[in-house]
Amino acid sequence: MSTFSGISTALSSLIAQRQALDVSGQNVANANTPGYTRQRADMSAVQGSSVPTLWSTTPAAGNGVRVDTITRMGDVFLDARVRSETSASSYQAAHADTLGRLESQLREPSDTGLASSLQTYWADWQDVANAPGDTAARMVLIGDAQSLVSQISSGYRGVETQWSQLRTETSTLVTDVNSTAQAIADLNAQIRSVTVSGGNANELVDRRSQLVTTLSGLVGATGRERADGTMDVMVAGNPLVTGDRADALEVQGSWTMAGGLGEPPATLDQVRLVWASNGTAANLEGGRVAANLDDLAPAGALGGAIQTWNAVATNLANSVNALHGAGQTLQDPPTTGVDFFSVAAGVPAALGLSVAVTDPKDVAAANPASGALDGSWADAIAQLADDPTGPDTQWRSFAVDVGVRTRAAEQRATVLEASRASAENLQLSATSVDLDEESVNMLAYQRAYEGAARVLTALDEMLDTLINRTGVVGR
Amino acid sequence: MIGRVTQQTLQRSTLANLQSNLTRMSNLQGQMSGGKLITKPSDDPAGAAQAMVLRAQQRTTKQYQRNADDGLAWLTTIDTAMQSSVSTLRRVRDLTVQGGSGALGPTSREAIATELEGLRDGLLDLANTSYLGRSVFAGTSDADVAFTDAASATPYSWTGTTGASVQRRVAADTTVRADADGVSVFGEGATSVFALIDDIAADLRAGTNVAPRLNEIDARMSTMLGELAGVGTRYNQLTTSQSDTAVTLQDLTSRLSGIEDIDLAQTIVELQMQEVAYQGALGATARVLQPTLMDFLR
Repeated sequence: MSTFSGISTALSSLIAQRQALDVSGQNVANANTPGYTRQRADMSAVQGSSVPTLWSTTPAAGNGVRVDTITRMGDVFLDARVRSETSASSYQAAHADTLGRLESQLREPSDTGLASSLQTYWADWQDVANAPGDTAARMVLIGDAQSLVSQISSGYRGVETQWSQLRTETSTLVTDVNSTAQAIADLNAQIRSVTVSGGNANELVDRRSQLVTTLSGLVGATGRERADGTMDVMVAGNPLVTGDRADALEVQGSWTMAGGLGEPPATLDQVRLVWASNGTAANLEGGRVAANLDDLAPAGALGGAIQTWNAVATNLANSVNALHGAGQTLQDPPTTGVDFFSVAAGVPAALGLSVAVTDPKDVAAANPASGALDGSWADAIAQLADDPTGPDTQWRSFAVDVGVRTRAAEQRATVLEASRASAENLQLSATSVDLDEESVNMLAYQRAYEGAARVLTALDEMLDTLINRTGVVGR
Repeated sequence: MIGRVTQQTLQRSTLANLQSNLTRMSNLQGQMSGGKLITKPSDDPAGAAQAMVLRAQQRTTKQYQRNADDGLAWLTTIDTAMQSSVSTLRRVRDLTVQGGSGALGPTSREAIATELEGLRDGLLDLANTSYLGRSVFAGTSDADVAFTDAASATPYSWTGTTGASVQRRVAADTTVRADADGVSVFGEGATSVFALIDDIAADLRAGTNVAPRLNEIDARMSTMLGELAGVGTRYNQLTTSQSDTAVTLQDLTSRLSGIEDIDLAQTIVELQMQEVAYQGALGATARVLQPTLMDFLR
C-alpha cells in the first residue's frame, strides 16, 4: 500500500463531493422549471486494490469514492399514468367545451330564444282568429313568422360557424402534433448520441417527456422507452415516432360543414384522421383531437344540433301548411290550398324555410264552410303550440337534452381533471425539487468536503513528520 | 415515495385550491348580479325543462286573457243591442195592443202603422250592430249588414253562414261563443221580426184585426229573452275564466321565479361564506409558502 494512496482517496472525495454539490446547485437552480426532474449524484465506494501476492497480509482500505452517474429521479410508471390521465381528461374537456359553446348558442331559457319566438308566432294566430278581417293582425303574423324563419336559419348558421372553427382548430392541432413528433424524434437522436458517448442527457429527457405528455393531451399518445435511451411514441396503436424517425398525421375531409355532415347539396365527406405515410385511418383513443373529430362527425353533438334545426323547420312548415292549405283566405273570391311556409328543395330545411305568404289577405284563417270572417282555422293552427309532436316540444326536448349532456360532460371533465391533477401531483412529488432536502444535501456535501480536506491535512502533517522530522535526533 | 411534499407540489395544490375557491365565488357573484339561478340549460336541466314549459304556458295564458277581453267586448255590444231590441219589441207590442182596439179611426191606425215602421227600422239597425266593423249577429260574414232591408231583392235575409260562429279560446280546450245567432234572435225573411212588424202595419192599414198577432210577438219576445239569457251566461263564463287566468298567470309567474330566480338571502350568505373561505385560503397560502430550511441555515 502506497504512502500516498490516502491523498488520492481524499482527493476522490473532494472531487465527488464537489460534483454532488454541483448537482444540488442544478436542482436548486431549476426548483421552478416546469418539467424539470430532480437529479442525484450516485456515489459508490472504490474498491481497494486486490491482494498483490499470496502472502501479502496488508488489509487494503478502499480507494475513495466515485460519482457513477447523475441519476434522473423520474419514474416511467408515474409518467405513463400522467399521460393516460391527460389523454382522457383532455378528451372530455374539449368535448365539454364544444357542448358548452353549442349550449350558449341556444339562448334558452330566455325571452329571446326560439321557444319564445315560436310562442309569439302561435299567439299571433290567435290574434288573427280574434280579428280575421284586420289586416294589421295578419301583417304582424307574417312579420313574426319571418323573424322566426330568420332565427331558425341563423341558429343553423351559428352551428355551422362553430363547426368551421372546430374544423380549423383540429387541423391546427394536428399540425402541432406533427411538429411535436418531429421535435421528439430530434431529441431522441441527440439523447442517443449523448448517452452512447457516456454523457448526461437528463435535461433532454425532461424536455422529451414534456413533449410526449403534450402529445398525450392532443392525440392520446403513449411513450415506450427503449434500451438505447430513445423513446417510441405510439398513437392509436401505431408508432408516431420510432427512434429518430417521425411519421405524420393528416386531417382529411371536407372543410365545410355541408360536406362534413352530408347536408344537401353536398355529399358526405367526413372529417377523419389518417397516417400521412400510408393513408390508413388513425382511430384515436383519447386527446383533444379525438374529441374534436367525434364532435365534427355527423353523429356528433354539432350534427345533432343541425338535425334538430332542420327537423324543427320541416315540422313547422309541414304542420302549419297541412292546416293552412285547407283553410280559406280573405281574397275575393276566397281561395284555399295556400301554403304558409315553403321549404326549398336541395338545401338544408333550416336554410330553405321561408314564409310563402306575402299578401296579408293570403293568410287562411277561415273554415271554408263558415263565413269569410271566420277565425276558427287560425285558432286551430294556434293549437299546434301544444302539439306533443310539434316544433315546440321538439325544440324544448333538444334544448334540455343539450343541457343534460353539457352538464354530464362538464361533471365528467371535472372528475377527470381532478384525477389528472392527482396523477400529476404524484409525479411532481417524486420529481420536483425540495429546497429543504437540497439544503440538507448541500450541508452534507459541504461537511464531507471539509472532512476530506481534513484527511488531506492530516496526511500532509504525517508526511511532514516523516520527511522533515525523521532522522534529526540530536540535531 | 408517495407523500413526499415539495415546495412545488405545495404551490400547485394551494394554487388549485385558490382557483376552485375563486371559481365558486365568481359563480355566486354571477348569480347575484344576474339574479338568475338558471341562465343556461346545463345549470339545472330539470329546472330548465320546467322553466321552458312554464314560459310557454305563461305566454298562452296571456293570450287567453286577450281572447277573453275581446270576447267580452263582443258580448257587451250584443247585450246592449239585444236589451234595446227587447224594449223596442215591447213598444211594438204596446202599439199592436193599441191598434187592436176597434175604436180607432183610419188616421190613428195609419199613425200607429207609421210608428211601427219606424220601430222596424230601429230594430233593423240594432240587428246590424257591429263591433270593430263586424256584424255581431252574423259574426263570420263579411257583408256590410247582418240583415238586408225591406227594399232589397230578398227582404230581411240573413247574410251569415248557418252553423258558423265566432269563438274565443279561453283555455286549452274551452272556447266561448262571442257572437249571437241573428236568425235565432230576429228570425229570417218572411218569418223574421221585421216582416212581422211589416205585416202588423199592413194589417192596421187594411183594417184587419191585429190582436192575433200578439201571440207571434210574444213568441219572438220569449225567443229573444232566451237568447239574451244565453249571452249573459257566456258573458259570465268569460269573466270567470278571466279571473281564473289571472290567478293562473300569477301562479305561473311565482313558480317560474321559484325555479329560475335566486334566493337573495341564501346567495348573500353563501357569498359571504365563500369570501371568508377565500380569505382563509389566501392567509394560509401566505404562511405556508414562506419558510424553508434556507431561512434557518447560515
